[in-house]
Amino acid sequence: MNIQASKLCLYFLALLLLASATACSSPSKPKISLVPDALLTSEDEQMLWQKSEQEQRALESNGLIYADPQLEDYLNQVVAKLTPADLPPDLVIRVKVIKNPYLNAFAYPNGMIYIHSGLLAQMENEAQLAAVLAHEMTHCIRRHALRAFRKYKNQPAVFIAIQQTLLKTRGLRKLAHSIGVTGAMVAISGYTRELEAEADRVGFEWVLQAGYNPKEALALFDQMLADIAQDGHEEPFFFGSHPKIRQRAANLQNLPMPAMIKRPVSNNHRKHFLAKLDQLFLDNAQLDIRLGRFQAAKKSIEKFTTIKPDDTRAYFLLGEIYRQRGQQSDAHTALGYYSRAITLDPSFAAPHKAIGLIHYKKGQHALAKKFFESCLQLSPDSPDKAYIEGYLKQCTLSKESS
Amino acid sequence: MKKIVQFSLLMIVASCLACAANGGLTKPASYGFQVDIPKGWRQIDNNRYLLVTRENPFQQYILVQSRPIGKSFRHTKKTMRKTMLPEEAAQIIIDELISDRNLVNLKLLNNAPESIKGFAGFKILYTYQDAEGHSFKTLYYGFIKEDTFFNLRFTASDRFHFQRDIEAFRYMLNSFEVIKAKAT
Repeated sequence: MNIQASKLCLYFLALLLLASATACSSPSKPKISLVPDALLTSEDEQMLWQKSEQEQRALESNGLIYADPQLEDYLNQVVAKLTPADLPPDLVIRVKVIKNPYLNAFAYPNGMIYIHSGLLAQMENEAQLAAVLAHEMTHCIRRHALRAFRKYKNQPAVFIAIQQTLLKTRGLRKLAHSIGVTGAMVAISGYTRELEAEADRVGFEWVLQAGYNPKEALALFDQMLADIAQDGHEEPFFFGSHPKIRQRAANLQNLPMPAMIKRPVSNNHRKHFLAKLDQLFLDNAQLDIRLGRFQAAKKSIEKFTTIKPDDTRAYFLLGEIYRQRGQQSDAHTALGYYSRAITLDPSFAAPHKAIGLIHYKKGQHALAKKFFESCLQLSPDSPDKAYIEGYLKQCTLSKESS
Repeated sequence: MKKIVQFSLLMIVASCLACAANGGLTKPASYGFQVDIPKGWRQIDNNRYLLVTRENPFQQYILVQSRPIGKSFRHTKKTMRKTMLPEEAAQIIIDELISDRNLVNLKLLNNAPESIKGFAGFKILYTYQDAEGHSFKTLYYGFIKEDTFFNLRFTASDRFHFQRDIEAFRYMLNSFEVIKAKAT
């Protein structure tokens, strides 16, 4: 049994254990009829939904959600464009964003889709977003979680192997605590190859019907593969895994592409998409900077500046990338961006301090002092006040000694 | 047979506890520092850092570590540099903590410069919950000396253990000495 199958089985084991505890007190039954086979609404599906809701509550109470109601509205509008006409009214597909720079999106059986800010920040246009959402929607609408559950639940022989895998997979256990067992499994392993291929095929049709170019998904996957290669490490998620993205791309390449989709996405559509996501690009860039993924952060900020070329925070963050990277001539580049940020908004204290730091480290204490002082004037209660006061003290001492 | 096994296990545990509850000066050559362990605290065997606890690491622990500045962290790709200011080093530690999804509801209570045995360093204080929802509070000191990043941290599971055992941490902090600036 490979590790992915073991992880999937762990998920089923957990669900089986929970089933006995939760089935007696389950709420309203999901009444979905849009199924490709003879799956019927039943206790196990109720249990799946109930467990999903519990996990979502835990996830959303942990402060992991990126709170931007306008962005959520926009994402749900795209879902509405993709939704097939015969979707049962009981199944409501909704999308929320998770503050996380890693590449991922995953769907719970009850129609809740979570997409990481890192994956959104990778996208160039709405067609790429539609491709990812349509894929995840297929998992919900075609009840992939239930189908997978039923396939594996009668195979108790795998449980010993599951326990061994669980012991080895520390990251999985920890992640399962924050996004729940159901979320962890679909977020990390995805579904079986057949169900993923079905999600690609059905999602492709919905994307096409909604008037998007499904080829844009290939462009997104190419970009993600290039970034994984450049970044040098893979992520523990479905969308951050090199072989899984390659498989997804292969699935799409094997589908027949109608002639009409060869036309490129118009610039207007791209601009509209970028404008809807604007602050997310900066917020995710900040997460990437924390992780030291400077190239990814720079790309996000550059997308932002194509729609808002005069934003002081964008230039400050560009400065941060170069100052923190610390390669040759980076300090000079950083100074340029900080100066631009100050020109755009002289009352923004952060770039004053950053310029002060660069001069301070170069031993240019008089210049450093000037910027540290202006920073404290603009932000007298700055949380890093103790550091700045220390630098000012050193600047004064150095002046006296010289 | 069962009784023999139980007795043997008991003897092993008793002997481990007896030799571990040591206190006193520890000066492992590979660490690059020496530090005095408070009486009643025991060392948990670990060849990567010095870890001591009074009861068990889930209640409280003190960790003292020297690490090469170029060594990568678990989450952030940033690395320490010899020329970094204490504030920049502190920022990397904070970035590492914030990027760690296992630390839930991380709250940074303080981040300030601090002299540690004459070395310019930093002090950060933060609280968090682990994946199981248990709360912890950590006081973290760090400084860079040549090619090594030294850090000493005290973590306790709640206010009672933090307040009771903070003096033991201060005792260790005061006894801390760099004996060579070379990390393993």
